[in-house]
Amino acid sequence: MTSGTAMRDIAVAAAALAILIAVPFLVHSPAFLDYIIRIAAMSLFATSLNLLVGGTGLVSFGHGMFYGLGAYAFALLMQRTQISLAAAAGCSLVISALVGLAVGAVCIRLRAIYFAFVTLAMQMLFYSIIITWQSLTGGDQGLQGGIPRRVLFGFDLNSQFHLYTVSAVVMVVGLLLLRHVSASPLGATLRMIRDNEPRTAFLGVTVWRAKLTAFVIAGVFASLGGILAALFVSGAYPELANWPISGQAIFAVMLGGVSTFLGPLAGAAILLALGDAVTRFTEYNGMVLGLVILFVTLGLRRGVLDVLTEALRRRRTGPAAGAAE
Amino acid sequence: MDLDALGRCVSTASCLVTQTTSGLIAGLLLFLVAAGLTLIFGVLKVVNFAHGTFYMLGGYIAFTTLQVTESYTLAVLAGGAAMAVFGIFFERALIARVYGQDVLMQLLVCYAVVLIFDDLVKMVWGADFLAMGMPPAFQVPPLFIAGGIVPPFYAVLIGIALVIAIALAASLSGTRAGKTVLAAAQNPTMVSALGVNTDRLFAVVFAIGAALAGLGGALAAPVRSLTPGMGFSVLIDSFIVTVIGGMGSIAGALLASVGVGLIRGFGTIGFPTFTDGLIYVAMIIVLLLRPTGLFGREVV
Amino acid sequence: MSLKVENLTKRFGGLAAISDVTLDFPTGSLTAVIGPNGAGKSTFFNLISGAIRPDSGRVLLDGEDVTAHSRGDIVRRGIGRAFQVASIFPTMTVAENLMVAVAAHRGQWAGLGRRFPPPGARVRAMEVADLVGLAHVADTLSAHLSHGDQKLLDIALALALEPKVLLLDEPTAGMGPEERWQMIERVQRLWERQNLTLVFIEHDMDIVFRVAQTIRVLCYGRVLAEGDAAAIRSNQAVIDAYLGTEEHAA
Repeated sequence: MTSGTAMRDIAVAAAALAILIAVPFLVHSPAFLDYIIRIAAMSLFATSLNLLVGGTGLVSFGHGMFYGLGAYAFALLMQRTQISLAAAAGCSLVISALVGLAVGAVCIRLRAIYFAFVTLAMQMLFYSIIITWQSLTGGDQGLQGGIPRRVLFGFDLNSQFHLYTVSAVVMVVGLLLLRHVSASPLGATLRMIRDNEPRTAFLGVTVWRAKLTAFVIAGVFASLGGILAALFVSGAYPELANWPISGQAIFAVMLGGVSTFLGPLAGAAILLALGDAVTRFTEYNGMVLGLVILFVTLGLRRGVLDVLTEALRRRRTGPAAGAAE
Repeated sequence: MDLDALGRCVSTASCLVTQTTSGLIAGLLLFLVAAGLTLIFGVLKVVNFAHGTFYMLGGYIAFTTLQVTESYTLAVLAGGAAMAVFGIFFERALIARVYGQDVLMQLLVCYAVVLIFDDLVKMVWGADFLAMGMPPAFQVPPLFIAGGIVPPFYAVLIGIALVIAIALAASLSGTRAGKTVLAAAQNPTMVSALGVNTDRLFAVVFAIGAALAGLGGALAAPVRSLTPGMGFSVLIDSFIVTVIGGMGSIAGALLASVGVGLIRGFGTIGFPTFTDGLIYVAMIIVLLLRPTGLFGREVV
Repeated sequence: MSLKVENLTKRFGGLAAISDVTLDFPTGSLTAVIGPNGAGKSTFFNLISGAIRPDSGRVLLDGEDVTAHSRGDIVRRGIGRAFQVASIFPTMTVAENLMVAVAAHRGQWAGLGRRFPPPGARVRAMEVADLVGLAHVADTLSAHLSHGDQKLLDIALALALEPKVLLLDEPTAGMGPEERWQMIERVQRLWERQNLTLVFIEHDMDIVFRVAQTIRVLCYGRVLAEGDAAAIRSNQAVIDAYLGTEEHAA
């Protein structure tokens, strides 16, 4: 049964990847391919955040730090050194893991809202450093000048089609790995902490170690998203590390749903589509987004995918399940 | 980083006076906003992410009132009063629906209000910076204290902010209603057990908190420019102050506000581009040493 | 496994919650800890299980000093506990609750190499569910269990760790009279079959006098009396300080 669920997830991922790779042959729209590339970056970011929020009960307001860190580390390595794209990406992930370890060691000592704010402070500190350290980061202008040597395993990432293909693969593999984490024994331990942290400690779990591991893993996958974003925008800019990026991820998570693994992916897709559609019709996109948020939070009260899966479950199990509640 | 400049400033009386004054102004204005935030959190256990919006609206309303009536006093009062009313509406219509839900729900509802009102302000007052300008009565030559330049309006501002802070402290600890609020901030269940109408209490506390933010925005309007989205940096500063001081603690908020104000005042000399960074570092250090802030209680 | 505390003391502010308590719980014994509200009973359990650190004194497990070890370490050495208010994982089913406990006990909680549950965890979880009579609701969400079943699940979580010493904080709290007896009979059977050293806090005097081999009375953080049911019943200090007040409270 254990390997059964793993096989099912791999099959779903393979099917999704096949469809994604077929898309450019069916839809000849550069805008649509761009949209999918942006979803790839955003969904890794949001899903990794949900490992903390929905998976562990750790509400981080500063997860965007790792998105920005991935983008900056990767862009800097590409611009300042001669290493290959794959090596730069790998190094960026290692850097993110180390930073995640240090930042996490500080943050996870704090509880509830204090954790949320100290993560936000960490991100804002990181942002301040980016703005201040002009000689390294280009300050508020960002790292311009593009990303050289955009070649990965024979894919020339200057071509939108190739960038699209690589992004699709990275997204599917990344999400599959995150899925594996949440379905692993560690993932179960994180749910214990979310449900009842003191009890978890009384069952012999070293809670801080589990939390710190989750924090580092989430940071690494967020920075993987950041690397895709840096490739997409050909550089790294302060906006990728500023607080609204964390706000976007939080909203994607809540919009899609915290209790469904693919919720944040759905949320990211809806959020990006919404943003694109609204800017086309009005300059007041904040107002439209605000009204949508109010509808989701006060109307649905849960994420879209959570609502859907709940409805499906009810239909499948029939009224008996409803009676049990 | 320019530690020499900082050293020179600290060792000359004029620079010391100027920077301390501007630090105190920033700190006391911040305290008004943060006191409302910490009060609301203490009593309602809601983190009001829309608090910066009250500050912004208070500033804009004061701006228009001043244009119409040409009275700065009326402008400030209008900013505060309008936000008190708006606060009640906001609490009853939106926040009351997310009590007891997780903090992300509260965050999103408030975030929605922030987005909506930033755009509304853009529609009404435009997207550009607005300068309210110094009230005419204060357009006089600055005072020189120990060689430091202190505009009279700054002195008045510090005075007004101090008066409000003292009035707040006195009404909280000196009146029956105030004591109920303080008791509720410490132990909400106990107060409802005593038969206090919590619905009304919550609305009143929200009104007070919003009014304080509105007053802060109105008072600050002459010395800072108005722009949609101006609430955010104030919100972040208020959070930092609230967290450093301990969530729910007014005294903690005062201490932390003045501290943050002074860090800003002197940080601009020594670390001109990293003043914000200094404040984040301060917050992180405080939280490491005291995980619930200076005057915070254990969170349940 | 024997449990012993020596001169245990814990103050909160200026108030001594536990004051110079020395008690011995021999291997395989069944002991009730009683005392009026605020006597320090729960604090006593918290001190033994490592939830809080004593100001002074020692906790000895089979003669080995475990004072102020971490909660996890004390659990691994064989002290399990259940709580006054059932402490479970509400979003998981009964089986999942027990499987995560089993994985934790086997040191597999940090595993990333495979999927949950680890091999054998389900079988072991069902054995434990069977021990407390929860096998028939194994796939029910634990939040949906009755109050009594949630208390049983809490005990089962402790049992999944194969404890030698089991601390139960008011296993019958919040139950009706009939349910109480069912619960206490279950507990008694567990004690017999699992060869546990069992210590429980209880307010119901009928249960205490009927079930416990030894009774320890705590009052204002001190040991007021100890002995079997007959000795406690006739102890004048207990009658004055405790039974008298409890009688009109009940």
